[in-house]
Amino acid sequence: MKQTTAQFKKNVEAALAQPNLKVALDRTTGLLRSRRAEIVAQFPEFETTREIAQQIKNHTIRYLDYYLEEFEKNAIASGAKVHWASTAKEATDAVIAICRAHDAKMATRVKSMLGEEIGLPEALAEAGVERVETDLAEHIIQLAGDPPSHIVMPAMHKTHEEVSELFERHHRNHVKRTEIADLVESARHELRPKYFAAEVGISGANFLIAETGSIVIVTNEGNAELTTAPPKAHIVTVGIEKLVPTMEHCTALLRLLARSAVGTEITQYTTFYNGPKRSGDKDGPEEMHIVLVDHHRTEMLAGNLRAMLHCIRCGACINHCPVYAAIGGHAYGGVYPGPMGSVLTPAMTSLKEAGDLPNACTLNGRCQEVCPVKIPLPDMMRRLREQQYRENFTSPTVRYGLGLWAFAVKRPWLYRLGNRFAIRALGMLGRRKGHIRSLPGTGGWTRHRDLAAPQGGTFMDLYGRRQRGIS
Amino acid sequence: MSDARERVLTDVRTALGGGRPDPAAVAREAAATLANPANVQPKFDNFSNLKRFVERATSETVTATVDDVQDFAAVPSAVRRYLSEHGLALDVSMVSVATLTDQDWDDVSYHHTIDPEERVSVCLADYGIAETGTLVFHSCPESPTLFNYLPLHHIVVIEAKKILRYIEDYCAKVRAAGNIHPRNINFITGTSGTADIEARNVRGADGPRFLHIVIIGGGNA
Repeated sequence: MKQTTAQFKKNVEAALAQPNLKVALDRTTGLLRSRRAEIVAQFPEFETTREIAQQIKNHTIRYLDYYLEEFEKNAIASGAKVHWASTAKEATDAVIAICRAHDAKMATRVKSMLGEEIGLPEALAEAGVERVETDLAEHIIQLAGDPPSHIVMPAMHKTHEEVSELFERHHRNHVKRTEIADLVESARHELRPKYFAAEVGISGANFLIAETGSIVIVTNEGNAELTTAPPKAHIVTVGIEKLVPTMEHCTALLRLLARSAVGTEITQYTTFYNGPKRSGDKDGPEEMHIVLVDHHRTEMLAGNLRAMLHCIRCGACINHCPVYAAIGGHAYGGVYPGPMGSVLTPAMTSLKEAGDLPNACTLNGRCQEVCPVKIPLPDMMRRLREQQYRENFTSPTVRYGLGLWAFAVKRPWLYRLGNRFAIRALGMLGRRKGHIRSLPGTGGWTRHRDLAAPQGGTFMDLYGRRQRGIS
Repeated sequence: MSDARERVLTDVRTALGGGRPDPAAVAREAAATLANPANVQPKFDNFSNLKRFVERATSETVTATVDDVQDFAAVPSAVRRYLSEHGLALDVSMVSVATLTDQDWDDVSYHHTIDPEERVSVCLADYGIAETGTLVFHSCPESPTLFNYLPLHHIVVIEAKKILRYIEDYCAKVRAAGNIHPRNINFITGTSGTADIEARNVRGADGPRFLHIVIIGGGNA
């Protein structure tokens, strides 16, 4: 997809100006948060499971080379073909070559964020292969021509009224109706024949099991099986960090994934795929291809973002991020929005280009609290900010501001004096109304809201008075 | 392509900075993470496997209906009952498993093919999982995958004794049977659903809208 991370600030202004977006985000993130809280409360072992999940991912990543070779060996034994790709281009080339070998005109596709990462939709379009997204949300954004705005619910930014208009325009037999159930039925009707018309079905994978060479896909719609069983070839594009040692390890992570992502014990459909059609099988693809993709993962492994390779892509950090709730996914301008995106996008593009992202964070820490594999997201963003400062990507205003602040804070008498003066001055300015409407240099704040006038002196004054027993 | 393989593996090894690990030591370390499976399992001590399975399967989130019969011979009448209750034609798509086809189906006709617009399929689950109310299917020539995904009404027969407590118990069964994995292992928990529009749950997205489970030999569940 087209990256617009570099113009993050412009994106944010545009996002804040969209009234529909706020409605859609309010309707969805709140529901996802409360569903998760409810299901986690019913599973007292959630915390121990998180600890163990973290150990499992730590262990697997520490022996990643070993597990990759184990996986490859066992996947080949099950009849699958394994391809490797260091870059996005190598990965899409591998996929297109398989499509060509099957003379594919149409490819059905199960939602995969890695596919977005490597630009698979664009590569298919260039190769003249019609892409049919089968996940309902992906179907919606494909019709709308939008990029995904959330990793689990890519059409989160659309209200049902907007979806109805889209379907009316694009579906064969859509009668204008706005009930959500009718919209779902219309999409089912539209997609059914395409499952059987496609020559190739493309998916990602939620997990790779080294011991058996299995790929694991979870969905709630059942579109993965319908996408991968009828065509001649099933192609999997997957990041090398998705490995787990055994099915038992996968089970522990599955318990966290469904609870964290959508607030259920398990998703409706979890399938373990082991190679292509076998002798006598009445369905299933004749060929199964697995493309193992690096795309900056080994760089993260070598640097200090290694823990990000533990991510199981549940999206809980996104649903609990107050910044995401205000601006939505598109503003982030990359494949992954929210806290995970603020770490992943700089790693996959550059810190120079995506430098605004780790700064679009209040360091409130909710993302780390809800992360099922305990990734220290706020720490990582803090470290990215430090790196930015070191590498001179921070704007001069911020650098001077920080320098001035550092100078004062190292001299407490000066800091307190400065504070006291500023508080008095602001207090006098806002004396009449209790707030300040505009002030030179604070336009970023006062353009949209008033600045409350300080009352009662500095923190240190209040603290001192309280210590002396005067309130 | 083999170039890319070497490059990725070399990059991984360089990043990890270590030598080749001893497989036995890695396996021991991997097993140690799950030394106590109870740490990652939800508890339901006061429930039998069957009771928990039915409770989860019929829950608001899984939305299945459940019927309970004595033996395989009683399956056709249970299926017929469901079809009449839902005003469906007495014609179903059925997997070609002998334990089902050997029964007397009387006026219910069946076929072993499945159409993209199929109304009803009758399938046999290999296992059940009490923890989540999940049905487990192994793909094979007699039981193709799509029978579980295409129909609007998914009728599944399962023997009560095949209902295991946790997913780990299923893994243990597979290991005990030589760790041979079918092409597809499908875990199915309820019906096809989506929450993609405004996070509202709707059933019958791409696959079945209704799931009806006929449990054999469950006694008075």
